[in-house]
Amino acid sequence: MSKTILAQQQFRYKHTFQLKRIISYLAWILMIIYGMLTIYPLFWLMISAFKSNAQFFNEPFALPDQWNYSNFITAWTTSKMGRAFLNSTYVSLFALALTLFLSSLTSYVIARFSFKLKGATLLFFVIGMLIPIHSTLVPLFILMKQLKILNTHLALILPYTAFALPTAIFILTAYLREVPKEIEEAAYIDGASLWGVFFRIMLPISLPALSTVSILTFLHSWNDFSFALVFISKSTLKTLPLAVSNFADGFQVDYSLTLAAMTLSVVPTIIIYLLFQEQVMKGMTAGAVKG
Amino acid sequence: MNVSTIKRFIALALAPSLVLYALFVFVPVIWSAYYSLFNWKGISEATFIGFQNYVELVQDDIFWRALKNNVVFVLASVLGQVPIALMLSIVLFKNNFFQRLLRTAVFMPMVLSTVVIGLIWSYIYHPQIGLLNFLLDFLKLGHLKLQWTSDANIAIYALIPPLIWSYVGLYLIIFISALQNIPNELNDAAKIDGATGLTKLVKITLPMIWGTIQVAIILCISGSLKSFDLVYIMTKGGPAHATELLATYMYNATFSTYRYGYGSTISTAIVIISLLLIGISQWLTNKPK
Repeated sequence: MSKTILAQQQFRYKHTFQLKRIISYLAWILMIIYGMLTIYPLFWLMISAFKSNAQFFNEPFALPDQWNYSNFITAWTTSKMGRAFLNSTYVSLFALALTLFLSSLTSYVIARFSFKLKGATLLFFVIGMLIPIHSTLVPLFILMKQLKILNTHLALILPYTAFALPTAIFILTAYLREVPKEIEEAAYIDGASLWGVFFRIMLPISLPALSTVSILTFLHSWNDFSFALVFISKSTLKTLPLAVSNFADGFQVDYSLTLAAMTLSVVPTIIIYLLFQEQVMKGMTAGAVKG
Repeated sequence: MNVSTIKRFIALALAPSLVLYALFVFVPVIWSAYYSLFNWKGISEATFIGFQNYVELVQDDIFWRALKNNVVFVLASVLGQVPIALMLSIVLFKNNFFQRLLRTAVFMPMVLSTVVIGLIWSYIYHPQIGLLNFLLDFLKLGHLKLQWTSDANIAIYALIPPLIWSYVGLYLIIFISALQNIPNELNDAAKIDGATGLTKLVKITLPMIWGTIQVAIILCISGSLKSFDLVYIMTKGGPAHATELLATYMYNATFSTYRYGYGSTISTAIVIISLLLIGISQWLTNKPK
């Protein structure tokens, strides 16, 4: 009697074991298909950028017959992609530097000092995160027209910084709160000034959080389209996303050239992503969850 | 160090951030509420017209269609991104090489500019040279070929796959970090009690990360109000306003038809609607507790 029960149990165990294996294989196959679907459009873009127009039309899925590097050179030189690349780099780095300086200073004060309006200050920054970014396009356009900074790099640097501040302050304040008080107390006893403590102790200590903020801010400014679209119309000031979208409109027929321009604009972000994957993921999820 | 030095430092350290932030994030909202009371073409004098713009707005068919499209995007995100990301995360939450590789792939669209994403998908949907129609021909399914983004009846739905494709990675990472935070003791206890597979998933895993799922749903709602770029690049709100979102409609009203006052009215409506949506979703998700 007990033998049969045991055998039954063993049978059942073996059975569910096999079923589980089949399910897990199935799950994995689905995962791999999904992973390939996600990456394929990007792979297709980069492969197609090397094709001739004729091959692009006739064999959209094939590998290039010939690897036409000239598409990239033409896109870079004749279409002002090079100029746009420089503009994007300049604007993104400038906004990044400003964001890092302002947000770390603000976070230092909020995290380490007690003053009367501290709660209100933090609340002010937090509430602003609820404001949908696109609702500010029209009034910002009017504001910048009156400040006479439309069609300058400042028209991008200032709003990029302003919109990056809440997340940056959120991340940095949380980080600095965890730093033990003894470190700066020792410095004050040694006669360090407040600025000295900020530059020599707080900034180096918050380096991990600063790197997360940096990647997040840089990617946001580099990829921004709507601010550039509304505030910049001068062709010499256009950033990459704007230049690429204009390029796609203007060169409708020359697809391989457009694809080369698109590839040029994504390569830097992909390199940053592959190098700093953990920070990128951490930063982007922290940046999203905070709101 | 005396008190006044510290006070001066605090003021000096906070002032630049506060000014910049207030000027570029807060003031615009108040300004657009102010301009929404005017009839203004941008160049001539603005004339005060009270709440007439708002009266026009609630009678404006395109506004309601744009709002409906925003709701379609919210639903697509909640019913598309969240379940896909949840399923992926349950399989991919460990840290071996292959799982990391798949995670890297799925998250990749998050770092690409929406312009590039929109253009890639425009090529996929292109009626003559698009990948999708080419593939359908190849599979001898030519009769299924459609004018994906230029047919007013289906264009808004054609925009959903790129939307889901770009954001699944974000939710995947959010869910994975929640799953990794489930204490090991709980999994061990479940094993001892004989809970495996689906039982464990429904009784332990999902309740443990329910809070995170709520956060993800709120993110879907606020995130879908932000999808201006994708629609602008792929359809510009067309054909015949079929894919208009609130944000694209605001853009078109202001910069295509030069109605600054009316554009400001739509801006203000966006702020109000998004605050309402966030409020409602907070209230709904907090209620069961």
